[in-house]
Amino acid sequence: MTTLPAWWDEAADGPMNMAADEALAAAALERGSLAVRLYDWTASTLSLGAFQPLAEARAGVHGLPIVRRPSGGGAIVHGSDLTYAAALPRSHAWGGSAQSLYDALHTALVETLVHRGIPARLHGTEEGPGDATALLCFDRRAPGDVVVPRPGGQAAAKIMGSAQRRLGTTVLQHGSLLLRSNADVAPQVRHPGLADLYDVAARWQTRELVESWLGRVAAALGCRLEFQPLPFGHGREEQLARGALRFADPTWTARR
Amino acid sequence: MAADLKFAKTHEWIRPEAGGLATVGISAYAVEALTDLVFMQLPQVGKHVKAGESIGEIESVKAVSDFYAPVSGEIVEVNTPLAGSLETLGKDPYGAGWIVRIRPDAPAEMAGLLDQAAYDALVKSQPH
Repeated sequence: MTTLPAWWDEAADGPMNMAADEALAAAALERGSLAVRLYDWTASTLSLGAFQPLAEARAGVHGLPIVRRPSGGGAIVHGSDLTYAAALPRSHAWGGSAQSLYDALHTALVETLVHRGIPARLHGTEEGPGDATALLCFDRRAPGDVVVPRPGGQAAAKIMGSAQRRLGTTVLQHGSLLLRSNADVAPQVRHPGLADLYDVAARWQTRELVESWLGRVAAALGCRLEFQPLPFGHGREEQLARGALRFADPTWTARR
Repeated sequence: MAADLKFAKTHEWIRPEAGGLATVGISAYAVEALTDLVFMQLPQVGKHVKAGESIGEIESVKAVSDFYAPVSGEIVEVNTPLAGSLETLGKDPYGAGWIVRIRPDAPAEMAGLLDQAAYDALVKSQPH
Protein backbone atom coordinates (compact mmCIF):
# COMPACT_ATOMS: atom_id res chain seq x y z
CA MET A 1 0.00 0.00 0.00
CA THR A 2 1.34 3.43 -0.91
CA THR A 3 1.66 6.12 1.72
CA LEU A 4 0.67 9.73 2.23
CA PRO A 5 3.81 11.25 3.78
CA ALA A 6 3.26 13.94 6.39
CA TRP A 7 5.77 15.99 8.31
CA TRP A 8 4.93 17.69 11.59
CA ASP A 9 7.62 20.30 11.89
CA GLU A 10 8.93 22.43 14.71
CA ALA A 11 8.09 26.12 14.70
CA ALA A 12 10.01 28.28 12.24
CA ASP A 13 9.84 31.88 11.04
CA GLY A 14 7.90 32.96 7.97
CA PRO A 15 10.68 32.86 5.35
CA MET A 16 11.85 29.43 6.49
CA ASN A 17 8.30 28.05 6.46
CA MET A 18 7.71 29.38 2.95
CA ALA A 19 11.02 27.94 1.75
CA ALA A 20 10.12 24.55 3.21
CA ASP A 21 6.73 24.61 1.49
CA GLU A 22 8.34 25.46 -1.83
CA ALA A 23 10.69 22.51 -1.33
CA LEU A 24 7.69 20.34 -0.42
CA ALA A 25 6.24 21.01 -3.88
CA ALA A 26 9.48 19.82 -5.46
CA ALA A 27 9.48 16.73 -3.23
CA ALA A 28 5.88 15.92 -4.15
CA LEU A 29 6.73 16.15 -7.83
CA GLU A 30 9.69 13.83 -7.31
CA ARG A 31 7.51 11.34 -5.43
CA GLY A 32 4.64 11.69 -7.89
CA SER A 33 2.10 11.93 -5.09
CA LEU A 34 0.51 14.12 -2.44
CA ALA A 35 2.73 15.24 0.44
CA VAL A 36 1.72 17.28 3.48
CA ARG A 37 3.59 19.42 5.96
CA LEU A 38 2.10 20.78 9.20
CA TYR A 39 3.86 23.45 11.16
CA ASP A 40 3.88 26.23 13.68
CA TRP A 41 5.44 29.70 13.75
CA THR A 42 8.12 30.98 16.11
CA ALA A 43 6.03 34.14 16.61
CA SER A 44 2.59 35.26 15.51
CA THR A 45 3.06 36.22 11.86
CA LEU A 46 0.92 37.74 9.13
CA SER A 47 1.21 35.81 5.87
CA LEU A 48 0.12 37.73 2.80
CA GLY A 49 -1.34 36.30 -0.38
CA ALA A 50 0.89 36.49 -3.45
CA PHE A 51 -0.55 39.78 -4.69
CA GLN A 52 -2.00 41.48 -1.66
CA PRO A 53 -0.82 45.07 -1.22
CA LEU A 54 1.72 45.33 1.58
CA ALA A 55 0.55 48.81 2.59
CA GLU A 56 -2.99 47.53 3.14
CA ALA A 57 -1.64 44.73 5.33
CA ARG A 58 0.45 47.11 7.42
CA ALA A 59 -2.53 49.40 7.89
CA GLY A 60 -4.83 46.54 8.83
CA VAL A 61 -2.72 44.46 11.18
CA HIS A 62 -0.09 46.09 13.36
CA GLY A 63 3.03 44.80 14.99
CA LEU A 64 3.48 41.37 13.46
CA PRO A 65 6.26 40.07 11.21
CA ILE A 66 5.00 39.79 7.63
CA VAL A 67 5.86 37.15 5.07
CA ARG A 68 4.47 36.94 1.56
CA ARG A 69 3.31 33.50 0.46
CA PRO A 70 3.74 32.21 -3.08
CA SER A 71 0.08 31.14 -2.91
CA GLY A 72 -2.95 33.34 -3.47
CA GLY A 73 -5.84 34.15 -1.19
CA GLY A 74 -6.18 36.49 1.76
CA ALA A 75 -3.84 37.32 4.62
CA ILE A 76 -3.72 35.03 7.65
CA VAL A 77 -2.69 35.80 11.20
CA HIS A 78 -0.76 32.70 12.22
CA GLY A 79 0.10 31.70 15.74
CA SER A 80 -3.16 30.25 17.01
CA ASP A 81 -3.95 28.16 13.95
CA LEU A 82 -2.84 24.88 12.47
CA THR A 83 -1.01 25.72 9.26
CA TYR A 84 -0.56 23.15 6.54
CA ALA A 85 1.02 22.92 3.12
CA ALA A 86 -0.05 20.20 0.70
CA ALA A 87 1.65 19.60 -2.62
CA LEU A 88 1.14 17.28 -5.54
CA PRO A 89 1.99 16.98 -9.24
CA ARG A 90 -0.54 18.59 -11.57
CA SER A 91 -0.93 15.19 -13.22
CA HIS A 92 -2.36 13.82 -9.95
CA ALA A 93 -6.08 13.05 -9.86
CA TRP A 94 -6.53 16.06 -7.55
CA GLY A 95 -4.24 18.33 -9.54
CA GLY A 96 -6.46 19.17 -12.51
CA SER A 97 -8.44 22.03 -11.05
CA ALA A 98 -7.90 24.23 -8.02
CA GLN A 99 -11.17 23.02 -6.54
CA SER A 100 -10.18 19.33 -6.53
CA LEU A 101 -7.47 19.46 -3.88
CA TYR A 102 -9.30 22.18 -2.01
CA ASP A 103 -12.44 20.05 -1.76
CA ALA A 104 -10.55 16.86 -0.95
CA LEU A 105 -8.81 18.33 2.10
CA HIS A 106 -11.74 20.41 3.26
CA THR A 107 -14.30 17.63 2.89
CA ALA A 108 -12.09 15.34 4.95
CA LEU A 109 -11.93 17.98 7.69
CA VAL A 110 -15.69 18.45 7.64
CA GLU A 111 -16.15 14.69 8.03
CA THR A 112 -13.69 14.66 10.92
CA LEU A 113 -15.45 17.49 12.73
CA VAL A 114 -18.92 16.09 12.15
CA HIS A 115 -17.71 12.75 13.49
CA ARG A 116 -16.65 14.63 16.63
CA GLY A 117 -20.00 16.33 16.99
CA ILE A 118 -19.35 19.72 15.39
CA PRO A 119 -21.77 20.47 12.53
CA ALA A 120 -19.15 21.75 10.10
CA ARG A 121 -19.93 22.10 6.42
CA LEU A 122 -18.51 23.52 3.20
CA HIS A 123 -19.51 27.06 2.26
CA GLY A 124 -21.87 26.65 -0.69
CA THR A 125 -21.55 28.25 -4.10
CA GLU A 126 -25.12 29.56 -3.77
CA GLU A 127 -24.14 31.44 -0.60
CA GLY A 128 -21.99 33.81 -2.62
CA PRO A 129 -18.31 34.63 -2.49
CA GLY A 130 -18.50 37.22 0.28
CA ASP A 131 -15.99 40.05 0.07
CA ALA A 132 -13.24 38.63 -2.15
CA THR A 133 -11.12 41.74 -1.58
CA ALA A 134 -11.09 41.65 2.24
CA LEU A 135 -7.57 41.74 3.65
CA LEU A 136 -7.99 38.73 5.88
CA CYS A 137 -8.72 35.23 4.65
CA PHE A 138 -11.14 34.61 7.49
CA ASP A 139 -13.24 37.63 6.41
CA ARG A 140 -13.60 36.13 2.91
CA ARG A 141 -15.85 33.32 1.77
CA ALA A 142 -15.20 31.04 -1.17
CA PRO A 143 -17.10 27.93 -2.19
CA GLY A 144 -15.58 25.04 -0.28
CA ASP A 145 -14.36 26.98 2.76
CA VAL A 146 -15.02 25.09 6.00
CA VAL A 147 -17.60 26.90 8.13
CA VAL A 148 -19.35 26.07 11.40
CA PRO A 149 -22.49 27.49 12.97
CA ARG A 150 -21.87 30.01 15.72
CA PRO A 151 -23.62 29.10 18.93
CA GLY A 152 -26.44 31.65 19.21
CA GLY A 153 -27.44 31.50 15.58
CA GLN A 154 -25.28 34.24 14.07
CA ALA A 155 -23.80 33.82 10.61
CA ALA A 156 -21.55 30.79 10.21
CA ALA A 157 -17.88 31.24 11.10
CA LYS A 158 -15.13 30.24 8.69
CA ILE A 159 -12.59 28.01 10.39
CA MET A 160 -10.52 26.77 7.46
CA GLY A 161 -9.48 28.44 4.24
CA SER A 162 -6.89 27.44 1.67
CA ALA A 163 -5.28 28.86 -1.44
CA GLN A 164 -2.91 27.57 -4.07
CA ARG A 165 0.12 28.26 -6.18
CA ARG A 166 -0.17 26.38 -9.46
CA LEU A 167 3.13 25.99 -11.26
CA GLY A 168 3.77 24.25 -14.57
CA THR A 169 4.04 20.78 -13.09
CA THR A 170 3.08 21.11 -9.43
CA VAL A 171 0.43 22.49 -7.11
CA LEU A 172 1.18 23.92 -3.67
CA GLN A 173 -1.76 24.53 -1.39
CA HIS A 174 -1.55 26.50 1.82
CA GLY A 175 -4.27 26.31 4.41
CA SER A 176 -5.10 27.32 7.94
CA LEU A 177 -7.40 25.76 10.51
CA LEU A 178 -8.22 28.35 13.12
CA LEU A 179 -7.92 26.64 16.49
CA ARG A 180 -8.47 29.67 18.71
CA SER A 181 -8.55 33.44 18.59
CA ASN A 182 -5.15 35.14 18.44
CA ALA A 183 -4.55 37.55 21.33
CA ASP A 184 -1.48 39.06 19.64
CA VAL A 185 -3.64 41.18 17.33
CA ALA A 186 -6.25 43.86 17.93
CA PRO A 187 -9.78 42.62 18.67
CA GLN A 188 -11.14 43.95 15.36
CA VAL A 189 -8.89 41.61 13.37
CA ARG A 190 -9.35 38.57 15.58
CA HIS A 191 -11.50 35.66 14.50
CA PRO A 192 -12.95 32.97 16.72
CA GLY A 193 -11.39 29.55 16.44
CA LEU A 194 -12.84 26.13 17.01
CA ALA A 195 -12.04 26.18 20.73
CA ASP A 196 -13.74 29.57 21.14
CA LEU A 197 -16.88 28.39 19.40
CA TYR A 198 -17.16 24.86 20.81
CA ASP A 199 -16.07 23.97 24.34
CA VAL A 200 -15.50 20.39 23.34
CA ALA A 201 -12.83 21.43 20.83
CA ALA A 202 -10.84 23.13 23.58
CA ARG A 203 -10.14 19.68 25.04
CA TRP A 204 -8.98 18.06 21.81
CA GLN A 205 -5.41 17.10 21.12
CA THR A 206 -4.43 18.74 17.85
CA ARG A 207 -2.34 15.73 16.89
CA GLU A 208 -5.35 13.40 17.15
CA LEU A 209 -7.48 15.78 15.14
CA VAL A 210 -4.85 15.91 12.40
CA GLU A 211 -4.39 12.15 12.35
CA SER A 212 -8.12 11.72 11.90
CA TRP A 213 -8.28 14.41 9.21
CA LEU A 214 -5.30 13.29 7.16
CA GLY A 215 -6.22 9.66 7.73
CA ARG A 216 -9.43 10.37 5.83
CA VAL A 217 -7.48 12.10 3.09
CA ALA A 218 -5.21 9.07 2.79
CA ALA A 219 -8.20 6.73 2.74
CA ALA A 220 -9.75 8.72 -0.11
CA LEU A 221 -6.54 8.11 -2.05
CA GLY A 222 -6.44 4.44 -1.12
CA CYS A 223 -3.22 4.85 0.80
CA ARG A 224 -1.95 5.00 4.37
CA LEU A 225 -1.01 8.11 6.33
CA GLU A 226 2.61 7.96 7.44
CA PHE A 227 4.13 10.65 9.68
CA GLN A 228 7.81 11.03 8.92
CA PRO A 229 10.22 10.57 11.81
CA LEU A 230 12.55 13.41 10.80
CA PRO A 231 11.74 17.05 10.10
CA PHE A 232 11.10 17.92 6.47
CA GLY A 233 14.20 20.08 6.44
CA HIS A 234 16.47 17.20 7.41
CA GLY A 235 19.00 16.84 4.60
CA ARG A 236 17.59 19.91 2.85
CA GLU A 237 19.19 22.53 5.07
CA GLU A 238 21.07 24.38 2.31
CA GLN A 239 18.08 24.35 -0.04
CA LEU A 240 15.82 25.78 2.65
CA ALA A 241 18.35 28.39 3.71
CA ARG A 242 18.61 29.64 0.11
CA GLY A 243 14.85 29.70 -0.24
CA ALA A 244 14.41 31.53 3.05
CA LEU A 245 16.69 34.31 1.82
CA ARG A 246 14.37 34.92 -1.11
CA PHE A 247 11.25 34.96 1.07
CA ALA A 248 12.96 37.34 3.51
CA ASP A 249 13.99 39.72 0.72
CA PRO A 250 12.10 43.02 1.12
CA THR A 251 11.61 43.25 -2.64
CA TRP A 252 9.59 40.01 -2.50
CA THR A 253 7.53 41.14 0.47
CA ALA A 254 6.88 44.55 -1.13
CA ARG A 255 6.25 43.25 -4.66
CA ARG A 256 2.84 44.88 -4.46
CA MET B 1 -10.65 28.48 -33.56
CA ALA B 2 -7.90 29.37 -36.02
CA ALA B 3 -5.92 26.47 -37.45
CA ASP B 4 -2.68 28.41 -37.14
CA LEU B 5 -2.62 28.18 -33.35
CA LYS B 6 -0.06 26.07 -31.57
CA PHE B 7 -0.20 25.13 -27.90
CA ALA B 8 2.23 24.50 -25.07
CA LYS B 9 1.54 21.67 -22.63
CA THR B 10 1.20 24.35 -19.98
CA HIS B 11 -1.89 25.70 -21.84
CA GLU B 12 -0.52 28.77 -23.58
CA TRP B 13 -1.32 29.31 -27.26
CA ILE B 14 0.84 31.05 -29.84
CA ARG B 15 -0.05 32.38 -33.28
CA PRO B 16 2.50 33.51 -35.90
CA GLU B 17 1.91 37.05 -37.13
CA ALA B 18 3.30 39.22 -39.91
CA GLY B 19 6.74 40.68 -39.47
CA GLY B 20 8.21 37.69 -37.65
CA LEU B 21 6.16 38.27 -34.50
CA ALA B 22 3.91 35.85 -32.62
CA THR B 23 0.94 36.49 -30.34
CA VAL B 24 0.59 34.54 -27.10
CA GLY B 25 -2.36 33.90 -24.80
CA ILE B 26 -3.78 31.20 -22.57
CA SER B 27 -6.28 28.62 -23.75
CA ALA B 28 -10.01 28.66 -23.07
CA TYR B 29 -9.55 25.45 -21.06
CA ALA B 30 -6.98 27.11 -18.81
CA VAL B 31 -9.13 30.20 -18.29
CA GLU B 32 -12.14 28.09 -17.42
CA ALA B 33 -10.09 26.05 -14.93
CA LEU B 34 -8.90 29.21 -13.18
CA THR B 35 -12.40 30.68 -12.52
CA ASP B 36 -13.15 34.00 -10.84
CA LEU B 37 -10.04 35.93 -11.89
CA VAL B 38 -9.02 38.80 -9.62
CA PHE B 39 -5.54 39.97 -10.63
CA MET B 40 -2.98 39.61 -13.38
CA GLN B 41 0.69 40.53 -13.42
CA LEU B 42 1.99 41.13 -16.92
CA PRO B 43 5.62 41.16 -18.07
CA GLN B 44 7.60 44.19 -19.21
CA VAL B 45 8.12 45.03 -22.87
CA GLY B 46 11.71 44.38 -23.86
CA LYS B 47 12.20 41.39 -21.61
CA HIS B 48 13.91 38.41 -23.18
CA VAL B 49 12.41 35.10 -22.15
CA LYS B 50 13.29 31.48 -22.66
CA ALA B 51 10.76 28.83 -23.66
CA GLY B 52 9.11 27.48 -20.52
CA GLU B 53 10.03 30.53 -18.44
CA SER B 54 7.28 32.23 -16.45
CA ILE B 55 6.19 35.46 -18.12
CA GLY B 56 3.44 36.43 -15.73
CA GLU B 57 1.01 35.39 -13.05
CA ILE B 58 -2.73 35.33 -12.80
CA GLU B 59 -4.71 35.12 -9.60
CA SER B 60 -8.15 33.67 -9.13
CA VAL B 61 -10.10 33.48 -5.89
CA LYS B 62 -8.35 30.24 -4.93
CA ALA B 63 -5.06 30.15 -6.77
CA VAL B 64 -2.16 31.97 -8.35
CA SER B 65 -0.98 30.43 -11.60
CA ASP B 66 2.05 31.19 -13.68
CA PHE B 67 1.86 31.38 -17.42
CA TYR B 68 4.88 30.54 -19.52
CA ALA B 69 6.60 31.57 -22.72
CA PRO B 70 5.85 28.89 -25.34
CA VAL B 71 8.99 29.90 -27.27
CA SER B 72 12.14 31.87 -26.56
CA GLY B 73 12.23 35.48 -27.67
CA GLU B 74 11.79 39.13 -26.83
CA ILE B 75 8.50 40.51 -25.56
CA VAL B 76 7.70 43.40 -27.89
CA GLU B 77 4.13 44.24 -26.86
CA VAL B 78 1.94 43.62 -23.84
CA ASN B 79 -1.86 43.75 -23.75
CA THR B 80 -1.81 46.12 -20.79
CA PRO B 81 -5.57 46.86 -20.74
CA LEU B 82 -6.19 43.17 -20.10
CA ALA B 83 -5.16 43.53 -16.45
CA GLY B 84 -8.11 45.87 -15.98
CA SER B 85 -10.63 43.73 -17.85
CA LEU B 86 -9.90 40.16 -16.87
CA GLU B 87 -13.32 39.04 -18.09
CA THR B 88 -11.93 39.45 -21.63
CA LEU B 89 -9.79 36.36 -21.05
CA GLY B 90 -12.92 34.28 -20.68
CA LYS B 91 -14.97 36.00 -23.38
CA ASP B 92 -12.36 36.00 -26.14
CA PRO B 93 -9.25 34.03 -25.10
CA TYR B 94 -7.95 33.70 -28.68
CA GLY B 95 -8.69 37.27 -29.73
CA ALA B 96 -8.97 40.30 -27.47
CA GLY B 97 -7.66 38.17 -24.60
CA TRP B 98 -4.16 37.93 -26.07
CA ILE B 99 -1.44 38.61 -23.52
CA VAL B 100 1.88 39.40 -25.20
CA ARG B 101 3.52 39.63 -28.60
CA ILE B 102 6.92 37.98 -28.87
CA ARG B 103 9.66 38.20 -31.45
CA PRO B 104 10.77 34.54 -31.41
CA ASP B 105 14.50 33.86 -31.48
CA ALA B 106 13.87 30.86 -33.71
CA PRO B 107 10.43 30.73 -35.36
CA ALA B 108 11.02 27.06 -36.08
CA GLU B 109 10.68 26.45 -32.34
CA MET B 110 6.91 26.71 -32.81
CA ALA B 111 6.94 23.52 -34.84
CA GLY B 112 7.67 21.59 -31.67
CA LEU B 113 4.46 22.73 -29.99
CA LEU B 114 1.11 20.93 -30.04
CA ASP B 115 -1.37 21.42 -32.86
CA GLN B 116 -5.07 21.77 -32.12
CA ALA B 117 -5.81 18.03 -32.25
CA ALA B 118 -2.89 17.13 -30.00
CA TYR B 119 -3.85 19.86 -27.54
CA ASP B 120 -7.47 18.69 -27.47
CA ALA B 121 -6.21 15.19 -26.67
CA LEU B 122 -4.04 16.60 -23.88
CA VAL B 123 -7.00 18.43 -22.38
CA LYS B 124 -9.13 15.28 -22.49
CA SER B 125 -6.45 13.39 -20.61
CA GLN B 126 -6.18 15.98 -17.83
CA PRO B 127 -7.51 15.15 -14.36
CA HIS B 128 -10.61 17.15 -13.46
